[in-house]
This record gives sequence, C-alpha cells and structure tokens, in this order.
Amino acid sequence: MFESIEEVRERLAAQEYVSDARLATVVFLATRLGKPVLVEGPAGVGKTELAKSLAGAAGRDLIRLQCYEGLDEAKALYEWEYSKQLLYTQVLREKIGEVLKPAKDLSEAAEILRGQEDTFFSENFLVERPILQALRSEESSVLLIDEIDRADEEFEAFLLEFLSDFQVSIPEIGTVKAKAPPVVILTSNRTRELSEALKRRCLHLQLGYPSGDVELEIVRLKAPGIGEALSEELVRTIQGIRELDLRKAPSIGETLDWAQSLVVLNAKDLSKDLIESTISVIAKHDRDAEKMLDHLGVNAAETKHLGQTEPTGENPSEAMYEMHRSAHKHAH
Amino acid sequence: MDTVINDFVQVLRDHRLRVSPAESIDALNALQNTGIGERETVKDTLRATLVKNGEDAGTFDRLFDLFFSMRPVVEKPGARVRGHDHDHDHGPPPARLELGEEAGGQKPDDAGHTHDKDESTEMRRFFEEERMRPSNDVHGDAERMRLSMFSQELILNRKPGAMESALQRLTYHMRLRRSRNMFNPGGLVPNPGGEEIPLDVSAVDLEDLIGHLHELEVDEAIVEQLEAQAENILKGLPELIKQMQRRDKLLKKDAGDDSEVRRRALRKMLRFSASEQREMEAAVRRIARRIQGARTRRLKEDRIGRISVPHTLRHNVRYEGVPFDPVLRRKREGKPRVALLCDISLSTRNLARFWLHMIYQMQSLFSKVRTFVFVADVAEVTQVLEEHDMNRAVDEIFSGRIIDADVNSDFGKAAGQFRDGFLPTINHRTTVVILGDGRNNGKWANPQALEEISQHARQVVWITPEPRWGWSLGSCDMPLYEPICDRVEVVRTVEQLGGVAEGLIKARA
Repeated sequence: MFESIEEVRERLAAQEYVSDARLATVVFLATRLGKPVLVEGPAGVGKTELAKSLAGAAGRDLIRLQCYEGLDEAKALYEWEYSKQLLYTQVLREKIGEVLKPAKDLSEAAEILRGQEDTFFSENFLVERPILQALRSEESSVLLIDEIDRADEEFEAFLLEFLSDFQVSIPEIGTVKAKAPPVVILTSNRTRELSEALKRRCLHLQLGYPSGDVELEIVRLKAPGIGEALSEELVRTIQGIRELDLRKAPSIGETLDWAQSLVVLNAKDLSKDLIESTISVIAKHDRDAEKMLDHLGVNAAETKHLGQTEPTGENPSEAMYEMHRSAHKHAH
Repeated sequence: MDTVINDFVQVLRDHRLRVSPAESIDALNALQNTGIGERETVKDTLRATLVKNGEDAGTFDRLFDLFFSMRPVVEKPGARVRGHDHDHDHGPPPARLELGEEAGGQKPDDAGHTHDKDESTEMRRFFEEERMRPSNDVHGDAERMRLSMFSQELILNRKPGAMESALQRLTYHMRLRRSRNMFNPGGLVPNPGGEEIPLDVSAVDLEDLIGHLHELEVDEAIVEQLEAQAENILKGLPELIKQMQRRDKLLKKDAGDDSEVRRRALRKMLRFSASEQREMEAAVRRIARRIQGARTRRLKEDRIGRISVPHTLRHNVRYEGVPFDPVLRRKREGKPRVALLCDISLSTRNLARFWLHMIYQMQSLFSKVRTFVFVADVAEVTQVLEEHDMNRAVDEIFSGRIIDADVNSDFGKAAGQFRDGFLPTINHRTTVVILGDGRNNGKWANPQALEEISQHARQVVWITPEPRWGWSLGSCDMPLYEPICDRVEVVRTVEQLGGVAEGLIKARA
C-alpha cells in the first residue's frame, strides 16, 4: 500500500490530513504488518478523520462501524434475512412438496428437509454488516470501528477473533476468512479502559492536541478563507486556552469551527467583541466559557483598552452560549 | 537485535509496564519493516507496538532515551587521538541495508565510513547525534550510511558480558600497545581529565568482536569494513564500553530509586503505582458487579433470555405468524446507582487517599455514582472527581476549599446533613457505601439519621479500616451503626478490597 513512512505522510497530506512522523510510522506499520491500529485521544483531534483520509490516500473503500452501547453481532457482523427466506419458501412451496413426495412418513420428510437446510442458510440470505462486508470485499478496505469504548465489553471480546486473524465464525456457515485483509482503525475516547487482550492485538497510537505549527497548517488547509494574520492569532489564542484548566479543552475540531465562523463573519482580526460573541463555538460548558473570557480578557486589556466586561450569569450573551451548546452537535 | 529488544522489554517490565511476548515479537516484525536507521522511527515503532497505555508513554520515552543513549560525555580536546590517518574508503559502498531477511540478526545500516575531517576518532564521531542520520553533506554520498550509533549499540548490547570479560582478560595487551605507542603521546589516553580507563582493546579483542559479528550473520562487507577499521574501533571501544557501563548503572539505579520511592510513597500517602491502580480497578469492577441497582421488574428484549410468546407472535405477523424470529426477553440489570460517603478526617487521613482513589475508580467506571465527603459537614465532590485527574482531585479535596478537613469527625452531624440535604438523591435502587472508621469523638452518633438513609436506600455498606476488636476502644460508634448497615467490611489494603469483592460475589450466588 505504502512504500515508506514518507509516502504515508505525503499521501495523507494530499488528503488534507496533516500528520506527524509518529502517526505516519504507525500507519505505515499497520499496512505492513496487517495489524489493527487503536487510536486513543480526546474528542476532536482527528481520530475518525485519520481513517477517512487513509481510505482516501490508499484509494480504498471506507467501511464504518459506529459503536454504541448494546451493539451486537447482528448489527456488526451479519444477520439472516428472514423475509427473503420466507419469500423463497413461499415461492418454492411446490418444489418443496415435490422434494418431499417420496417421503413415506413425517420423520422421513423431516430428514429430507434437513438435507436441504443449506439452501436456506446459505450466504444468499445473509445480510452483510460492516465487519462481514470488510471481510468479504474483494479489495482490501479500510474498516473504521469508531468509539469502541462505547460498546459493551462482550462486543470487545467478540472482536478479538476478527482482529487477530481477520476471520469470523458464523455457526451456520463456518469460518469466513478475509479475502483481502482490511486495514482496521479502532478509535477510543477513553471513556473506559479497554481490555488488555484487545490492546495487545493492536498497534497503539495516542493522539493529543497538535503543536502550534501543525495546527496552523491544519487551519490553513481546512479553512482557506481565513487570512494569514488572523489564522496565526487564532491558533495562538487556542493554544493559550488549552493551557487553562478546562472541563473540555477545545480540540482541532473546535479550532476549525471557530476559523470557519470567523470566515463567515468576515472578520479581519480577533477583537474582543468578536471573541465574546463567538466563544460559544469553542466552549462547550459555560464555566469553560467564563474561564476563557477571563483569560482572553486579560490579554485584550493589555493591548486594547476596551471596556472589559466580566461575564456574569445575567449577561444575555451567556444565555446564548447555552442555546448554542445544545444546538451544537459536534461530529468527531 | 532480538536480544537487544528483549533486554529493552525486560527493562520496561522492570518498570512495571506490561509487555507481552506477542508484543515484543510484533516490535521485531515492525522494526524489520521500518529499518533501524533512524532513531525517532525506531522509537515511534517501539512505542506503537510495546506501549498500550497512555500513561506509560512517559516512562517509555524516558527509558528509551536512557537505554539507547550512549553519547560522548563531552568532547574534550585532549581526548582526541592524533596522528592516525583514517582513510577507510574500502569495501563496496553498500546501499542502505535494511534489517535483513537473510540475516536473522541485526544488520547495522552500513559500516562504511570515510576519513574524518577533524581529529576525533571515528567511533567518537558515531556517537554524535547527527551521525545517526544518513549524511550526504560530508561525503556527498547520500546512499552511504554510517555505522550509526544506534547499530553499534545494538551490537554491543548483544552480549555485554562477553565484551567486558574479554576486555579484562586483555588489559595485558593494552600495556603492550601502550609501550609500543610511546612515541605517540596522548594517543592512548582517551580521558586525560580523570584516571585512565583501565580498558583497552587489542587485536584479539577485536577478533572476538568480529567473530561475534560473524556469528550474528551480519553482512560480510560490513564485517570486512569493521576489520579494516580495527584501529579506530580499538580506540573507540573503551569509551563505548564506559558509556555502556554508565548507562547500565543509570538504568539500574533508576529502577532501584523508582521502587524505593514508590514504596515509601505508598506507605506514606497511598498513592498508587500503575499496577496497583489496575489491581484496584479490577477489584472495584468486581465489587461493582455486586452493587448493581435493583433488578428491574420489567422484562426487556435481549439477545438471550426466555421466549416471549406474545411478542414473538406480534413480531412474526409479517411472516404469516410463523415464528421465524423469536423474541427473547429477560430481566435487565439496572445501571448501578451508588452513593459514596467518604470520611476524610484526620484519623483516617492516610486511608482517605486510598478511598478516594477507589471512589475515583468507581466514578469513572459507572455513570450513576455520586460522591460525598464529610468530616463534620457534608459536601458533594462528584464534579471535582469528574473534572480533574485523580491526583489533582484528591489534592483539591484535601485543600480545605470544599469542606474544613481539619476539624474532628462527626458522623452524627454528617449523617443528619446528608439526610436533610441529599436524601432525594438516593432511592430504593441506590447502594450507599460509607467509608469511615465510625469514631465520633464523643459526639452524638445520630443513628436515626443513618437509619432513615438506610430506609431509603437499597442497601448500606460500611467499609471501615478498623478491625472489629478495635471498636470497643475509644469513642467508636461502630457498634451503634453496624445493625443499621446491611454489611460492614474491614478494608485496609487493595487485597482486602479484592477479598470483599469476592465475598460479595459469593454471597450473591
């Protein structure tokens, strides 16, 4: 798939995904060793995006499995298509009668029927779910198992066979082995600790918040409308905010949202008013918003002496953050 | 190379990282793909394959730097060896050699190197960090790579003991050499500042090393080059070995220090190492299975359970009532609802940390846990524990900002406050866990308040650090509280906690 670590970086960059050497090394190894990659890190640092970009860079299909509590193999692996089976029995009723004709009694008929069971539990009647889809695709694909930490522990255990050998056992059919082993990317927000067994089967990649330079590059790539000076100021501000003790530090996703909203607002520079009216884009809790404004307010007071307004509970703009917060659905 | 990686893995294990054999094999396979030319790549590769817990990454980085860290101490002018003409441009210039298929062991990238421009020895130059990268600036030959420091370390690491013993055997040769080199002053005094390194390497040594390399099935060309560079290696080795010994010492000392500090810390503050945390987590997990919320009365659809006839019929109407798709239902376990009340008074201070760690684990494992701390007043700290990492949260709680932690504990008052302020937070599904020693300092015990709490809760579990015989001593109100609680457990250590968990599970079965 890739010849060198450098190539990984270049091809990912072509997909507008900025990577560092560590990430590229892990991706390269994953394609070479055929091992799944477990990507851990806070929300919005580009874990899911990695899988998408990788699929794009390698020219593969992306198959996505979003995990949630209660996810089971019927949703992840396969399901029998009962209605189709039923339809076939209805249509083939006469034929079945014919087949069963020579039977003298009921038990013999049942015996004959048992011999035909394979017809109705064949791959024809199998509804492919993401994992089976990835296994049976002719070309190697990229399988994204998103937010594995949301799934139950049983599901994690169920994945083990698939992850180590790229095969699954279906009781009625037997073992399905991958025609072309997919590149598997698992992501986790660390809402709970994953089992050792799962971790052992994966290459591990810890993604954190990017450095200023990398972030700047990302902003330039993804929000091209933003001016040079403004993007620099923006990234500097965000990096400063991350230093604060926040409940949810703004991640790259938020930076980009902010950059894009500044583009939409046609902003030239980050004035204090502008920050105040758009802080809801990066702050997901009101207490965080307060802290950020405090932090930035001090900064602004040094440069321009604008009327410094301490955010209080009565401030109408704060009610706005609330509204924004509920309206803002962040997909990362 | 496998030995080197194994040694490194061993060091990691000594520092309580969990590395399985499968993972070290992965690491070797991975290195075959990336090559060992670049230090950072090797580091990234090993990190991805060996380190699976985010919190271990720091330890790994430190150990990696330490383990593969043979650098010249300081470049001293006197340490230079003069008068040698190093023109070793021999041997076919091999292109970058990858960790080979045909050679199972290590293959240094390339031993081919040329004359040096300054006077320092060749070996010394390898130590410099820029030598670890292919350099085309010096020789204009991008293809050519030097026997990088990293590869050298791999060779030396292969068999440190053998090297040392060989060296000791051969101090004799060293003297010979020294006398021979009498007219080349300074040539063999690599470290004029301190005492002479009592090590030098002779031809026999070198043969040993080369034989060793042969053993390793290293590419012949490299060995030839090494042989040709005998002179330089002779000079470089003592330094290299010294570095290595120093590093080994550092690694060992480091390990010793670590465990010592940890032990002391544990005794004093009960801060946990990673492995103990894991143990704790497992124990808490086991406990948690027991203190689930009440089983719901309602049956819910599930993958396993009993067939529900009405639901199956309804569901299969589309198949003309033929029950193709049976609907199974069973009683679902409710989400655990736990209210934790933790005494953080002075008398239990050393245990309170342990408890708070435990609580922290519980809270991170379950969604419906509310945590309260008390001395004389009660305060909820659920948020604090959610927002900060464990150690910071613990510090925050003890900082006195939340409640005054320095007064005498008063269970009666605390229970009363809890009843008045937080009773609505518990219901018939909640398990109340109280952590405390029940020492009331002579104040009113107020068992009525606890009784009322107990009536509202599903069960009350009291975890105390004091064994039963101690209850009669001093002003301990445990005998008053015990009949109200559903169970009272004595827990002082993680193992005991695990034991309690086991007991709870057994009691259920």
